[in-house]
Amino acid sequence: MTPILELRNVRKAYGDFVAVADVSMAVPPGSIYGLLGPNGAGKTTTLRMIMNITPQDSGEIQVFGHKRTSEDLQRIGYLPEERGLYRRMTVIDQLVFLAEIHGLKKAKILPDIQHWLERVDLAPWAKKKVEELSKGMQQKVQLIGTVLHQPELLILDEPFSGLDPLNQELFRDLLSEYRAQGKSVVLSTHGMELAERLCDHICLISHGRAVLDGNLKEIKRRVGGNSYRVVAEGDLNRLQELPEVEQAAVNNGVVKLLLRPDASGPETLRRMVEFLEVHEFRSEEPELEQIFLKAVRDAA
Amino acid sequence: MRLENVAVVGKREYLQRARTKAFWIMTLILPLFITAISVLPALLLSKSKAYQRLVVVDETGKLGADLVARLNFRESPKPKEAAESSGRRRARDESGMVSFEAQAERPAADRKAQRAALDRQVMEKKIDAWVWISPGVFADKPVEYHARSVSNVFTQDALRDELSSIVRQARFRQAGIDPVRVEELSRSVSLDPQRVSAKGSRAEGSLGAAVLAIIMFFILYVSIIMWGQQVMQGVLEEKGSRVIEVVISAVTPFELMMGKLLGICLLGLTQLTIWLGTLLVITTPGVVTAMAFLPPGVSLPTLSPVMLINFVLLFILGFLAYATLYAGIGASFNNLQEAQQAAGFAMIFVIIPVMIMYPVINDPNSRMATVLSLIPMFTPLLMPLRIAVDMPPGWQLALAYLLTIGFVVGMVWFCSKIYRVGILMYGKKPTFKEIWKWTRYA
Repeated sequence: MTPILELRNVRKAYGDFVAVADVSMAVPPGSIYGLLGPNGAGKTTTLRMIMNITPQDSGEIQVFGHKRTSEDLQRIGYLPEERGLYRRMTVIDQLVFLAEIHGLKKAKILPDIQHWLERVDLAPWAKKKVEELSKGMQQKVQLIGTVLHQPELLILDEPFSGLDPLNQELFRDLLSEYRAQGKSVVLSTHGMELAERLCDHICLISHGRAVLDGNLKEIKRRVGGNSYRVVAEGDLNRLQELPEVEQAAVNNGVVKLLLRPDASGPETLRRMVEFLEVHEFRSEEPELEQIFLKAVRDAA
Repeated sequence: MRLENVAVVGKREYLQRARTKAFWIMTLILPLFITAISVLPALLLSKSKAYQRLVVVDETGKLGADLVARLNFRESPKPKEAAESSGRRRARDESGMVSFEAQAERPAADRKAQRAALDRQVMEKKIDAWVWISPGVFADKPVEYHARSVSNVFTQDALRDELSSIVRQARFRQAGIDPVRVEELSRSVSLDPQRVSAKGSRAEGSLGAAVLAIIMFFILYVSIIMWGQQVMQGVLEEKGSRVIEVVISAVTPFELMMGKLLGICLLGLTQLTIWLGTLLVITTPGVVTAMAFLPPGVSLPTLSPVMLINFVLLFILGFLAYATLYAGIGASFNNLQEAQQAAGFAMIFVIIPVMIMYPVINDPNSRMATVLSLIPMFTPLLMPLRIAVDMPPGWQLALAYLLTIGFVVGMVWFCSKIYRVGILMYGKKPTFKEIWKWTRYA
């Protein structure tokens, strides 16, 4: 299947500072694709390059199966990290304008706007200026503005940051609807749990480099063969000293243990019981956070 | 560049501003002001009892009939008005603002009762006023004037003039001098100003042309600064509210900038149309017979189509040059305070024409006026000034347009580079050196 969005060895530097060193990624149609990484990893710069807001220094970006054109950009819905609306425009004018710059006609889009405003309980506010709205309401307006033109691809930069729980819910529903329609979503986040719940595919970025890219389930299966949950008593920190242990995250007497691919679980258990009183030892799927930390360490 | 995007952006800029009260107040205040200082005084006076029904009681027996005749049939300097006044048996004063319907009344035996009767008529509004000419008038005794209101200075002026001239004529006759001869011999002399220039002497453009030139100059000056700063504020607002990133994900920075410039330019033209329309009406001969704020004998020349076309074209070019600069400045900084210094610098280009406005009006074809009006930054303000006073040679006009258009294109090219980089730059205030570097980004 042709990816709906594909980046090949994309790079961007500001003077001496390399924001994105080398990122390649492929977003399959009908998926929610998570761009993960800590703050400053280069997520926002990557998304801005996709939207051609900052042109890349080198590398290639393909959208909808061909080299990106400015017409393509109108078929994408973009939510930047820094939200913003024209403060002195009315809600309805604002949405009409956002639809128009995406190539839609006012008469055609008005019923849709009405429909959306009703869905998010903003209909009575349609003629109010944006500056008169509460922050939560402005968020809703911004979300409508992002999806109003029925984009085939959504690019969302930290979509859940600053959203109140109700709007988070609204947004999650929306993303599910999008996936169900076979459309694609690319979102950036530094919240691993959230990404784990939402995304089908992920790309891990660290220091401007994509360190891991692919289907989340596959990645977990690949990496997860050697992931264990351990409940034990004793000096748990000594686990870290075992040579075959890749990673040991201790939390309240529970250890998430990640072993080297060639290490054997039972062998480790045998060594463990020498200094610990083990209550539980079982194989399980690794958490995204573990995978991420490992990937970063491997890349370094 | 996709024109539909430019149109969408332009439409937003136009409508958002055209819907504000501030725009309409600003747009209507100037015509109202001009109307107020020109049309209104004349209008008000003509309405405020400039027409008076007057009874003249003459004790001397020599002046009454003359006065009544003069008030009713007084010659007017303008033939049209003369015809009008004789047709309606009504006289007008020279400015056409005061007219009378006078009738004489013989002094009765009981003067006291007659005065009381006249007062009653005034109170009952059968007449508006009455004058009593006593024999003392030849001994400098004032003539009594009774009316419901005595604050009608213009009417009283006209009446006093007529009385004085009749009394004066009577005195001349008593002294054996023919009053007609006196009038004939006391004509005043007028000056015919001729300016000597390289092309020889020629009649100087009237004061009216200069006044019109100044009015047009300031309309242009105000429009260009005001709308240029609107562009800057618009850019700063988009940057400040962070809406910019959403917008330029769908339209290119160049489309956004051009849309903004054209939308605001059209709004400026809308305002200009209203302003010029007012000026056009006011300068149409006959509409305003008395320009209250102009010295007597001076009337505004009519705006010619050539002037109008040049004026509008130069506004568009001037606006584009300045507004593009302002767009670049707005994009470079984070807020109005930061942008103020650079905006002040840009003002130099409009302030210099203000400083040399009077020399240019005085001598529109001097070397200085010619050279400065050909410098693109100054052309939009100085050329209309020259056109209004004395049409410059065709080649100069053509050259000025060519240079200015080239300059505008260059400004758009240069400032759009700053704009493109600047609108996404946040953080510390950039130095001019840094801004210069932006222009060399790919």
